[in-house]
Amino acid sequence: MPDAVTVEDLGKTFIKRRSLRDMLTRPWVPAERVTALDEVSFTVAPGEIFGLLGPNGAGKTTLLKVLACLVIQSRGRALVHGHDTRHAELRVKSSIGFVTSDERSFYWRLSGRENLHFFARLCNLQAGRVKDRCQDLLERLELTDKADHPFMNYSSGMKQRMAVARALLHDPPVLCMDEPTRSLDPVAAKHLRALIQGRLNRGEGKTILLATHNLAEAEELCSRIAILHRGRLRRLGTLAEARSWALARERYVLEVSGLNGAVAAEELDGGRVTVDRGAGDGLVTVRAELEPGGPALTRLIDGLRARGALIVSCSRHEASLQEIFDLTVGGPEGTA
Amino acid sequence: MTAGAARKAWAFVWKDFLIEVSYKSAFILHLGGVIFSVGLWFFFSGFLQENLKESMDALTGGNLFAFILFGVAPYSYQQVSLTAFGHRFREEQVTGTLEAMLVCPTRTPLVIFGSALFDFLFTSFRVVLYVLVGIVFSRFTARPIVLHWEGAGAAILIFTLMVATSVGIGIMAAAFVMYFKKGEVLVTLISSASGLLGGVFFPTGALPDSIQPFSRLLPISYTTDGVRRALLTGEGIPALLPHIQVLFVFAAVLLPLGLFVFRAALRGARRDGTLVQY
Repeated sequence: MPDAVTVEDLGKTFIKRRSLRDMLTRPWVPAERVTALDEVSFTVAPGEIFGLLGPNGAGKTTLLKVLACLVIQSRGRALVHGHDTRHAELRVKSSIGFVTSDERSFYWRLSGRENLHFFARLCNLQAGRVKDRCQDLLERLELTDKADHPFMNYSSGMKQRMAVARALLHDPPVLCMDEPTRSLDPVAAKHLRALIQGRLNRGEGKTILLATHNLAEAEELCSRIAILHRGRLRRLGTLAEARSWALARERYVLEVSGLNGAVAAEELDGGRVTVDRGAGDGLVTVRAELEPGGPALTRLIDGLRARGALIVSCSRHEASLQEIFDLTVGGPEGTA
Repeated sequence: MTAGAARKAWAFVWKDFLIEVSYKSAFILHLGGVIFSVGLWFFFSGFLQENLKESMDALTGGNLFAFILFGVAPYSYQQVSLTAFGHRFREEQVTGTLEAMLVCPTRTPLVIFGSALFDFLFTSFRVVLYVLVGIVFSRFTARPIVLHWEGAGAAILIFTLMVATSVGIGIMAAAFVMYFKKGEVLVTLISSASGLLGGVFFPTGALPDSIQPFSRLLPISYTTDGVRRALLTGEGIPALLPHIQVLFVFAAVLLPLGLFVFRAALRGARRDGTLVQY
């Protein structure tokens, strides 16, 4: 079975259009070029939820648009279920469902059902199947109550579920989701995440390519992630691998009581420790960054005990995706 | 056109029909507009009849009201052919539905053509109404309109060639909208020139001699004259061959050119990533 999505050395450079005045007054100045994607390569296995992360302008949407044949790449190639986006546009589009967070992508004066009927025809559903397929999707996405009401009266959550229903009309094996929970409240967002993970991925085996900058969402849903920054692929791997990128040192937090004196540096094998004596309840919080896999933790605990400390608790700190992201893109929004 | 493409085209028509009827008073307003327009032409043609008598084409029986009615009918089709593609494309861009359609497994040209189809059908409905209301109005005059069905074949042929020509220009305008985000200039120019110089509301013979050659550059001039002569006096294809030949040349050049420009614009917009931008 081919990979659900293959992206090889993909590059996209946009040439900024010049104003007429600019062309007339400075014809010798070349047009400005903006690199949106540069040497991006990865594969997505069938049945995987793959997160595409990056700050605004990282190239996530451009990448999804290349996969949906809305944009032609400048270099490299992109395959969806083995079909090349450049040479097999209709086959690619038959293999992919595109979920956008844009509520305006429906006809607001038509009902949800009428909208789905229209898009079902564009997705090559035979006349006899359109009605049943739309009804089935409306039921599965819990939209039947308002199916015959004008789309303009739907809540944001319903509109987003309609976008999912539309993407599923032709039953594509791959779903591309561009920030699907962006405009949803926490309850609706949770509902949609459950739908993506439970029904679409685990239940129907859909491969899902999720572009988001909601890191908690990516952490909850994705088995692998790619972090894009300024058009380049900075990181690619599982969440466990992602944590290892962030943690050159392991972090531990210990709560101890009865500690006398300071912890000596030689007990840490070059690690760092900070001691917070707290608010006078006798408990001391010790935060340590230690070399991974070595004996430093044992030495630290021995050192603390030698100073009369009783270890009340010891926990290892897992790096959040936010920390990984900040480390990769260099601070909030990648500005650092 | 394959059966699948025809079904998709019908889906566009049905969708646009549902949107149209969702505006509850739209039909009444359209009907009122048709009756008002025909009434206006009827009223003014009565005034102008005598002044234009000499330059009126004798083949229309000297009836200015019939002249206007059978000028407006092809002009309406020309207008929709010129504007529908660009207008609908722009509308779908702005409302945000274009991207949703373009990610479906349907060819982009079919999306553009399908989007404009309802406008053509609606214009047909409007033109039929114009003619019917006009014929009813003319029954109250000394010169009622009588259609000569023996000229219907020639009229349809002339009409088809004019639509093909205008569609070619309209597709070019849509290509401009797609690539440059503006395409109205070309359409506005042709549209205004056609209305003034194309023999729609008054005979081209009434124009100053220095202006008359310009009217011969417009496809609508041959269409209005040809359709009137066919339907109001019953002239057939042999008699109208010069008109047909000119329109055939227009169509043979402009339709393929329009399609070529459209393909180039589509390729360029996908390359530049501006297909759904406006």
